[in-house]
Amino acid sequence: MKKKILIVDDEKNIRLLLKEELMDEGYDVITAGSGAIALKMISEEKPDLVTLDIKMPGEDGLTILRKIRETEYDLPVIICSAYSVFKSDFSAVAADHYVVKSSNFDELKNKIKEILSYET
Amino acid sequence: MKTSGSLVSDSTLAIDKKAQSQLKQMKNIDIIIGIPSYNNAKSIGRVIKAAELGLAKYFPQHKGLIFISEGGDVEETRNAVDVLSDKRYFESAFIARPKLQTEILVTKYQGLSGKGTALKAIFEAARLLRTKAGCMLDADLRSISPEWIELLISPVILKGFGFVAPYYSRYKYDGTITNMIAYPVTWSLYGRRVRQPIGGDFGFSIELVESLLKKDVWQTDIARFGIDIWMTTVAICENLKICQSFLGAKIHDEKDPGKDLSPMFKQVVGTILGLMEIYQEKWIKVKGSRPTAIFGFESEISPKPIHVDMHNLIGKFKEGELKYKAIWEKVLETENYQKLLEVGKLDDSHFELPVELWIKSLFDFAVAYKKQTEELDAKEIIEALVPIYYAMTASFVSKTQNLDCHQAEEIITQQCSVFEKLKPYLVNRWTSNG
Repeated sequence: MKKKILIVDDEKNIRLLLKEELMDEGYDVITAGSGAIALKMISEEKPDLVTLDIKMPGEDGLTILRKIRETEYDLPVIICSAYSVFKSDFSAVAADHYVVKSSNFDELKNKIKEILSYET
Repeated sequence: MKTSGSLVSDSTLAIDKKAQSQLKQMKNIDIIIGIPSYNNAKSIGRVIKAAELGLAKYFPQHKGLIFISEGGDVEETRNAVDVLSDKRYFESAFIARPKLQTEILVTKYQGLSGKGTALKAIFEAARLLRTKAGCMLDADLRSISPEWIELLISPVILKGFGFVAPYYSRYKYDGTITNMIAYPVTWSLYGRRVRQPIGGDFGFSIELVESLLKKDVWQTDIARFGIDIWMTTVAICENLKICQSFLGAKIHDEKDPGKDLSPMFKQVVGTILGLMEIYQEKWIKVKGSRPTAIFGFESEISPKPIHVDMHNLIGKFKEGELKYKAIWEKVLETENYQKLLEVGKLDDSHFELPVELWIKSLFDFAVAYKKQTEELDAKEIIEALVPIYYAMTASFVSKTQNLDCHQAEEIITQQCSVFEKLKPYLVNRWTSNG
């Protein structure tokens, strides 16, 4: 069965681009434009992995990450942000991995593949 | 109304009959705050005050017990508690003084002397009282605030977590056993990234207490300094929900890793290696690592710098080489042994133990610990590892001396990833018959 990935990003172009890239890799992809929608989709759609932007209108990605961890203890989350500065924020340790956005998606794709293969 | 829990025969208990009788008089205790102490009368007052204020501020609807489990002079500790009896500190802490619902009990634990037995007494009290949740606090803490109580207890009571590990802001050279061994081993073997797996301050559920008290480990090193890593490992391996709470800076008596930590090293690392055998079915299957939820608010207060005498560490490694060379040759793979001897030839200004060599050496020692023979027992194996740990610590200090604490943390994280990548080396050696 195809693994389902939820992309959370307020920028529509990034959501579309990333969705296309990940669908090409064989994943089932759903998207959310805000943290609030993402939380609802996590509870209803049960994704296997989430990619999460930090700088978003409304609640930021690190707040959303904290909320995810309160209920979805083991859901893999990769922070995917244009800013590297949040990497040293202690809240970011609750993410599986931190990827700084770039035009090359290889790091993100490799990490998704790696994390989905874990047996913990 | 809750009823008191049952206990097994007195001879196996760490709480004595008098304390049991006092506990049985107490009704409806929801939260227990345990403070293991060993002659900490001078510092324990601050910890008790913070615990009382934290319970009153954050859990006004709950009845609490502060249980001090003393291993040294119990009268001195009782005197320290008596000094607080006027509760004057409540006046300055609150505008509207809350109802005080906390009892304090000081008792001397019985059994093997050590922190683990002190904690066992507290767990027994929690089980007897059937508390909803509890937390442990070190008796010599200087940086504790009432907020710690909320951060350690609320995840258990409100979110159903079974174990709340602390997450401290520490100076880059504080907690070297944690940084070089306990954290990366927990990350790579058990697949759970818990930053302070041997932190002394933690929250727990009654389910974890029940699980821990069932285990027959209380006459081993676990009853001493091994208790913290044992609890974290049990919580992970028995699939309890674990989270971390950010407690800010941990200020306690500083220790130079080359001067003070050898007995602690032997007990903690002995426990880690012993647990590898107990939980081998679990960790051999684990691939990758997962993060751990974190709560709290990050403060910007920088921890106090600690001076580490790097030359002393290197000197101890070189002395250790002379003393333990024969054991190293037996324990280490030939390639690792040869490389380690080369490291010993480096002068202080160029000294470096490559992280891969450190990890492979530690894994070789883990395999030797499992195989223990009449020629080479557990004590000798651990003692022979100490100088290599000193070399790794010196190497880390050299690499990070011009870095700030955040940058040093990056190096520690990278080292954990290398542990994870080299895990197949350990699995191969562990499972081979050679």
